[in-house]
Amino acid sequence: MSAPTAAADRVSLESLLWVSACLTLTLLAGIATLPLWVGMTVAAVAALRLVLAANGRDAPPRALRFTIAAVAIGLLFWQFRTFNGLAAGTALLSLMAGLKLLETRTSRDFQVITMIVYFLSLATLLESQSFWLLTYLIAVCWLTTATLLRVTSSTGIVHSQRTQWRGSLRYAGRLLAQALPLALAFWLFFPRFGGPLWAMPDNGSTATSGLSDSMSPGDITDLAQSDEIAFRVRFSAGTPPPGQRYWRGPVLHDFDGRRWHRSALSLGHADLSLSNAPRLEFQGPAYRYTVSLEPSQQRWLFALDWPAHWDAAHGYLTGDYMLMQPDPVSQPIDVAVTSYAQVSTAEPLKPAMRSRDTWLPQGRNPRSVRLAQEMRRAYRNDLDYVKSVLELFHTQAFFYTLRPPRLRLDSVDEFLFESRRGFCGHYASAFALLMRAAGIPARVVTGYQGGTYNRFADYWILRQSDAHAWDEVWIDGRGWLRFDPTSVIAPERIEHGLNDSLAADSPFISRWQQRTPWLTDTRLRIDALRLLWRQRILLFDQDSQERLLGFLHIPEPDGQKVALVLAVCLVAGLAWLTWQVRRDLEPRPSDPVNRAYRRLCRRMALAGLARWPHEGAEAFAARIATVRPDLARTLRSLCHRYSALRYAAAPNHPAAASAAAATFIAAVRAFRPRDFRGSSGNRFPAIAPRSNRD
Amino acid sequence: MVNRLRRAAITALTRWSVRRHGRDELPATVNRRRIYILPTRFGIAMALLLVAMLIAGLNYNSNLGLAFGFLMASLGLVAMHHCHRNLLGLAVDLACEVDALAGEHATFNFLLRNDGAVDRCDIEIRCAEAAAFQSVPAKGYTQAAVHLLVTQRGVTHLDRFELRTRYPFGWFRAWTYVHIPLTAYVAPLPRGDRPLISAAKAAGNAHHGEFRGDEDFAGLRAYEAGVPLKHMAWKVLARGGEPAVRSYSGPAAEPEWLDWSSLERLDTEVRLSQLCRWLLDREAAQGSYGLRIPGTEIMPARGLPHRSACLRALAAYPQQVPR
Repeated sequence: MSAPTAAADRVSLESLLWVSACLTLTLLAGIATLPLWVGMTVAAVAALRLVLAANGRDAPPRALRFTIAAVAIGLLFWQFRTFNGLAAGTALLSLMAGLKLLETRTSRDFQVITMIVYFLSLATLLESQSFWLLTYLIAVCWLTTATLLRVTSSTGIVHSQRTQWRGSLRYAGRLLAQALPLALAFWLFFPRFGGPLWAMPDNGSTATSGLSDSMSPGDITDLAQSDEIAFRVRFSAGTPPPGQRYWRGPVLHDFDGRRWHRSALSLGHADLSLSNAPRLEFQGPAYRYTVSLEPSQQRWLFALDWPAHWDAAHGYLTGDYMLMQPDPVSQPIDVAVTSYAQVSTAEPLKPAMRSRDTWLPQGRNPRSVRLAQEMRRAYRNDLDYVKSVLELFHTQAFFYTLRPPRLRLDSVDEFLFESRRGFCGHYASAFALLMRAAGIPARVVTGYQGGTYNRFADYWILRQSDAHAWDEVWIDGRGWLRFDPTSVIAPERIEHGLNDSLAADSPFISRWQQRTPWLTDTRLRIDALRLLWRQRILLFDQDSQERLLGFLHIPEPDGQKVALVLAVCLVAGLAWLTWQVRRDLEPRPSDPVNRAYRRLCRRMALAGLARWPHEGAEAFAARIATVRPDLARTLRSLCHRYSALRYAAAPNHPAAASAAAATFIAAVRAFRPRDFRGSSGNRFPAIAPRSNRD
Repeated sequence: MVNRLRRAAITALTRWSVRRHGRDELPATVNRRRIYILPTRFGIAMALLLVAMLIAGLNYNSNLGLAFGFLMASLGLVAMHHCHRNLLGLAVDLACEVDALAGEHATFNFLLRNDGAVDRCDIEIRCAEAAAFQSVPAKGYTQAAVHLLVTQRGVTHLDRFELRTRYPFGWFRAWTYVHIPLTAYVAPLPRGDRPLISAAKAAGNAHHGEFRGDEDFAGLRAYEAGVPLKHMAWKVLARGGEPAVRSYSGPAAEPEWLDWSSLERLDTEVRLSQLCRWLLDREAAQGSYGLRIPGTEIMPARGLPHRSACLRALAAYPQQVPR
């Protein structure tokens, strides 16, 4: 069957412009993940098509279109090696929409493009989940819907282009507004499944900043410049003092002379399974808290020293007490953890672990190794030696700075004997080496330290700038002990955070923020809202649904009940929608007198005595009087009163007017023409046959 | 194959709809019991897209993705209601019988009345293969003409016409059948160059000036429908009198018989075509004429009702059954 939209078969420049705008605005939202050249191609193609259309020319010839399409799609495949996966799929769709724009001739082509635009919006939302993005995309969706409305309708009531677009926007907005409550019902009660339906290919394109499983001297310095949030923590039982707020991340064991690694550098190293680790006896106060992690694309989670219990789905503890999960954190997740501040270990360190954690590369950093060996000889036990090394950092001229000089191959030698200026990574690295050179097992722990308290919502914010590195040293009989050489050099770093300790070094922005506390407060408030968004919207899941049903007093919620409630909500929603849509046809008069008059007419119509649309009230009464004399008196009085209320000059007292209106309304309410047995009906028996009622 | 199934389904549906609400009366108002609605091809594509959105949202465990997908699904549901409402309560009226010439268009004039407070956009009126698009403003009415191509002389009957709409978005198509017999009287195509016998007699009279016969004013007569506008006595009307028509006397006013029997040894259709030619010429010349064909005799007269009656007689002449 032929498409009957004959008038829309020709493409107008105006429609092209709007469709191009929708596509561009959608692509702008996903610009971060889209390859640059794809965006440029789409823009160029849209511009070409628009210029052609502006000059009254048709789409370019088929050969050119095919060439461009083949080259672009070939390039895309060459870049991604696949069309599967979110990034490649999104890029492919964007290209296809752009190329479709090039050959757009009919409204059908526009329909295809709008469908792609809708899907691209969704794909963008899969990548990033901010509130503003959602708002922006809904606005774009509104625009797209108005465009779709415009290009699919062939005739219009109004013939001016501008008012037509405005009308389309208004109507599309109305439709979307009516869709919102239904969408909310769907969203709240559509049964959720725990995990994905099937494994999707990982999208490696979304690299995020954060700690990695290796550390060279400058790494954490780079992180310290970043304001990005790594995770948030809310304590439910006890808040540890600042000196205890060490959030344990990747533990690094292997040193190549400059860089610390987590992955084994040589074969034969003990693996890091929990069975290789000495068992911990938990003591002291327990801290219960929830860590709300931002996606890091890494497998580790962050927990306070030392984690004892956690509720991560497949979380496990490694041999160096890192909390890990099998899959990278690609979505925001919440993990509830219980940690104990103090532990003791009765078991000895396994020889394999001891050899791994005392291993040093041969011939590297020779001066430091010699220093360590000499110093160790001066002390009776390991602990005294450790303290003397810390003392060394304290007494000698070491500086804590965000801008340390670049170090070359033997980084620790250079740092200890030449530059003496470093950030936490430098100190942790040097300290661990000094321990190992003295035969004491030691490892570098990276993670976050401190954090910002948000007093508006009682939680802690850990930013990338809170990244930190410290050491753990094995003391026989005591177990692993945490030592933080940075705390010796710059104790205020541990007590108050980075900005206080580096006032001179810190970027202008943060100095400025310190002087404007209201700005900091505003930022904290906004972050509290962001957390709320995250907890309520982004992390809405099966459990939340069950809690919601429980709140609605639906006992023992399960999937079936969720579906049932969804069905009920939808039926109610659709009924509401039907009512809304019908009501538009005959809007309810806002004036009570008009409403009463309408009711009167409706009742008369039900009695088979409908008022003709062109009939005024008095004329209506006069006509009915000839057909139904029994009704005549009442109806005439009612109609007369209506005319008076409507058209006569208003009485001086508003109270009198409202009283007259009230009596009229009451009289209409009491008037029932269908079963009329009024007093006048008795005196004048019905003469006219009730022709309309059989 | 698909098309055949489709056609069979449509036939079954129309039969069922006739049984359901029987014959209609004019003006017909579209109530909700008779509006049918189905997704269009684009709507089905959109539904598939929505399923893809749902799967993507669930698979990536993205609540915002799901929210967007649900918003689009709800928009679809809302659009369905609006599409349905676009027809609801619309009243339609038309002249059920029209005249046409074979090979040309039979024009049905529809009047769409919208008592509702919202505009009805893109209403399609479809009679068989012909369609017209119109929008009806709120509390207003619109006229729409559907031009149905008729190729064969005869009486063309349509059992119903359809009101359709795809507004908004073209995701759904709502339609309703109005079961009112439409009749197009298709007169034969005027053809043939045989002279009219009496016209031949009065040669030089009828064929010279166009309105020779109009010259002699003969007085006023009462208005009747179909009189040429230029014959109206406007001054009388302007004075507040009854509508009147100036009548004329002239040689062309002599009644003329268009006679079947004067065209012997000709094929039926050719005869009818020739009669039609004469008829139209005669009408154009403002002459009065009568029609005599087997089974029908129409007394001489003139004016549009007469012309229409004669043409309908020509159209209704039985078709020759090919042996």
